[in-house]
Amino acid sequence: MKNKQSYDRAVFWMFVTPALFAFVMVVIIPFFMGLYYSFTDWTAVAGLKPNWIGFKNYTKMFSDYKFLYSLFRTFIFTLLSVISINIVALLFAILVTREIKFKNFYRAGFFIPNLIGGLVLGYIWQFIFKSVVPAIGSALGIQKLANVLILSNPNLTLFGLVFAFTWQYAGYIMMIYVAALLNVPQELVEAASIDGANYWQKLKNITIPMIAHAFTITTFLTLVNSFKQYDIIVALTNGGPTAMFRGDVVNSTELLAVHIYNVAFKYNKMAEGQARAIIFFIMLSVISIAQVYYNKKSEVEM
Amino acid sequence: MKRALALLTSVFLVGSLMTGCSSKNSTTGENKENKNEKKTVVIYQNKVEIHDALTKYAAEYSKKTGVEVIVKTSGGDSPYAENLKAEFQSDRQPDIFVIEGMGGYNTWKSKLAPFEGDEWIDQTDLEFVVDGKVYGFPVAVEAWGMAYNKEMLDKAGIDPNTLTSQEAYKAAFEKLDSMKKELGISSVVAMAAGPDMRWVTGLHNFNGYLSAGLPYGDKTVLNKLLNGEPDMQRLKEYADWVELLFKYADKNVLLTGNYDAQVGQFATKKAAFIHQGNWIDPWLAQNNVNFPMGFAPHASVKGEMKGIFIGAPSFYVLNKDSKNLKEARDFINSIAMTEEGHNYMVNEAKMVPAFKNVKLKPSAPLSANVTEWLAKGTAYTWLQNDMPDGFGMGTLGPIYESYAKGDLTKEQFIEKIAEKIKSIK
Amino acid sequence: MISKKRLKEVLLQLLTLILFLITIFPFFIVIINSAKSSLEIVTNPIKLPDRWMQLFVNIKTIWTNPNIRYASSVYTSVIITVFSLITIALFSAMAAWVLVRRKTKLSNFIFLLFVSGLIIPFQVVMFPLVSFFRMINEAIGLPMLRTYHGMIFAYIGFGAPLAVFMFHGFIKTIPLELEEAAWIDGCTKPQIFFKIILPILKPIIVTICILNAIWIWNDFLLPSLVLGIGQNIQTIPLAIAAFAGSFVKKWDLIMTAVLMAATPIVIGFLLGQKHIIKGMISGSIK
Repeated sequence: MKNKQSYDRAVFWMFVTPALFAFVMVVIIPFFMGLYYSFTDWTAVAGLKPNWIGFKNYTKMFSDYKFLYSLFRTFIFTLLSVISINIVALLFAILVTREIKFKNFYRAGFFIPNLIGGLVLGYIWQFIFKSVVPAIGSALGIQKLANVLILSNPNLTLFGLVFAFTWQYAGYIMMIYVAALLNVPQELVEAASIDGANYWQKLKNITIPMIAHAFTITTFLTLVNSFKQYDIIVALTNGGPTAMFRGDVVNSTELLAVHIYNVAFKYNKMAEGQARAIIFFIMLSVISIAQVYYNKKSEVEM
Repeated sequence: MKRALALLTSVFLVGSLMTGCSSKNSTTGENKENKNEKKTVVIYQNKVEIHDALTKYAAEYSKKTGVEVIVKTSGGDSPYAENLKAEFQSDRQPDIFVIEGMGGYNTWKSKLAPFEGDEWIDQTDLEFVVDGKVYGFPVAVEAWGMAYNKEMLDKAGIDPNTLTSQEAYKAAFEKLDSMKKELGISSVVAMAAGPDMRWVTGLHNFNGYLSAGLPYGDKTVLNKLLNGEPDMQRLKEYADWVELLFKYADKNVLLTGNYDAQVGQFATKKAAFIHQGNWIDPWLAQNNVNFPMGFAPHASVKGEMKGIFIGAPSFYVLNKDSKNLKEARDFINSIAMTEEGHNYMVNEAKMVPAFKNVKLKPSAPLSANVTEWLAKGTAYTWLQNDMPDGFGMGTLGPIYESYAKGDLTKEQFIEKIAEKIKSIK
Repeated sequence: MISKKRLKEVLLQLLTLILFLITIFPFFIVIINSAKSSLEIVTNPIKLPDRWMQLFVNIKTIWTNPNIRYASSVYTSVIITVFSLITIALFSAMAAWVLVRRKTKLSNFIFLLFVSGLIIPFQVVMFPLVSFFRMINEAIGLPMLRTYHGMIFAYIGFGAPLAVFMFHGFIKTIPLELEEAAWIDGCTKPQIFFKIILPILKPIIVTICILNAIWIWNDFLLPSLVLGIGQNIQTIPLAIAAFAGSFVKKWDLIMTAVLMAATPIVIGFLLGQKHIIKGMISGSIK
């Protein structure tokens, strides 16, 4: 018996070690290093020993209006993206689970943008917003569209980012909704039809509650991925255009992930960037845990 | 027994993966250095457009001397300065890298080794010097001014030689603006101030404030800036120039245009002027644009302007920790001191060399015009790269954009720039 | 009544088609502009190209461009993606299996540690990770930065949490009896895993590999830090970033480069489309 136990233990370690080792080396150790660095004047230059400076990096952050502005814009972007992606994805999913022609063709088609990386996608949409939209405007003779400078208006640019991100991500979220919709028992829907329920009633009273657990996942995924968005922004707007905030000039789409990178590398303040990353992590955890908790709760209620 | 077997398989499994990877690695990088005891010099540079030519030259050089020179290039969207920082955090630091003036020098001074007694130093006036020591080899000469379309100015009866003051420009712009339809232009000036183009505004245009109208090498305005003191009178005059440029620019190109859009506007004859330098030559050549053109001075401040901005945009510097310092210096020297080097600079890389001993002449129109201006000897200095790292593009650039959009008035624009200069201290 | 229903069907068909066209529109833009010169693009980005031959001229330019090094970048991307997929799937399945089957406080803790990795954003660890990799080299002389194995190792670390989490959920539903029977038959634990469990895991492995393939093939920030931009080893996104210099944006060539970067994965997707979509749908809900 003792033998079996130690055998089990050996097998356990043998199987868990490769993944655990990589994970600890790549995520856990750097995470704690980063936590430590955020309290120092770390510069990342080899050979320089960081000095402990306490909470200085953190207090600086909250008096930096650029950070606060970035935070504010990140929240707006996240909120809009979550709503827009989920609505579009659910619409796609409903359309491609109905009995229509070329169902599989459409499923694949809606999914394809998801194969395009954020960087590449950013360049495509930058081109569309800058050159193609005005060209379409003048081709159709719509002066407003021909003269609109999407990427010079802070709010239009943010919508543009939401649009591009929705284009990329809705197809993926659609798949989750498709899976959930296929699990809705058809008998229930048919029974409701016999009872004379119309389409919206069926959707509201049967379909939506039946796919509630999918909402938990999709909201989580869209929330986290919007909040962390980096590639698309770098390639599409590079942080611009400028906006006015508290009487000063700020970069209107320098959202948190971009902001952290810029503080560390552009302005050469590694430790401050690291401290902002820690706050970024804390906020992301709180928001996502709260969201999952809330959704789980309402799943039960439904 | 079973247990031993299991342990063995696990060790084998993990081991095979590890070795599988590391053996693969050793063939990619290190073997090269170990096998043949060739000395290698790594040059990490930032001009995407000369990568080909430089690699080719480096290969010829290797054949001749036996020293292997590896050219690595990073332009791209995450700018060179950031990548270079990452490069120095990595395992193999470059032997030669690039700085763009005092800003770069201050960031990297602890890493630099000076040149001493190298032959090329006597052949140039543009070497990068700090405290009497030569640290940087000028990669090329570049220049910008108000590039104009000669035919259009002729049509409007404007002599480019008279464009030397804000008053002259104002009159010329008004005239051209009134003839828009006739000339078929969408705006007088092709100017860009959007997020991609902060180097045009925050660096090149702002350099007018720093050096226009002053003797070559005069750093008084710059030094005041570095002490946090704005020159308010000069700044006000300069703002008039910015206002003039923005007023006569196409809003689309001004606010969201990128390099292509700006150069494209000029190239398609939709603008009479462009605020760019001789580096647009290759773009024009590739697109078969060949109308007569030249540079006129920027009227950045009040008074008569006699020259365009000429300087060396970047310098090759030596990493003092390099194991092959001598080989690195020899390689750099060969560029300026051999005929192959000259051929590489002028004919292959299409640059305007900074060296007096080069007899070859560039063929591209704007570059040829630069050599004419160079011969006149009335150039204004490049000081934009001597501002603190990130100040021009990161801090000033957005202010121009806001002004161009109308978020800021001219007074606020002056105020903001003054405020940012004060915050340097 | 019937005609109303038919009308509704037709309208839905139409709506789907319109949405599909909107989705596809950017690809159309990329393709037509890949076959133009810079000047043509500046002049009119929405008209069809004058000469489709220009597409081949542009492709040739990208193919031979020293910053993109297309063939070698595709090769690098393939190597990194394939090795990462195999190792992530295998190691994570192994870990998840023993984490499900062995119920101790420690195994619980380890599982929670993996799950916590799901919410640690990359931005928190990216700067220290580079420093840490450098330190490893200083300490034991094993270069991690600018190497294939360093890159793949990083992907295992970042990919493991989600994979372990998904395998964990799936393995819980596999009845224990199967394994017990095999154990009595004299199979060793590793044999049980490789002969019995792994085949059962096939559908979820497919899902995980698809997700990871999309992620790794397109990833930019992590390789830009570990491999660096403008280095010998570069993936497709790094090549694109190195090429799309912000000072000289050549839209004609960027569009061509974008087209060439997306083509391999889109072709891969279309070839395996049926399985992929099935795998995505069956795997997306636990």
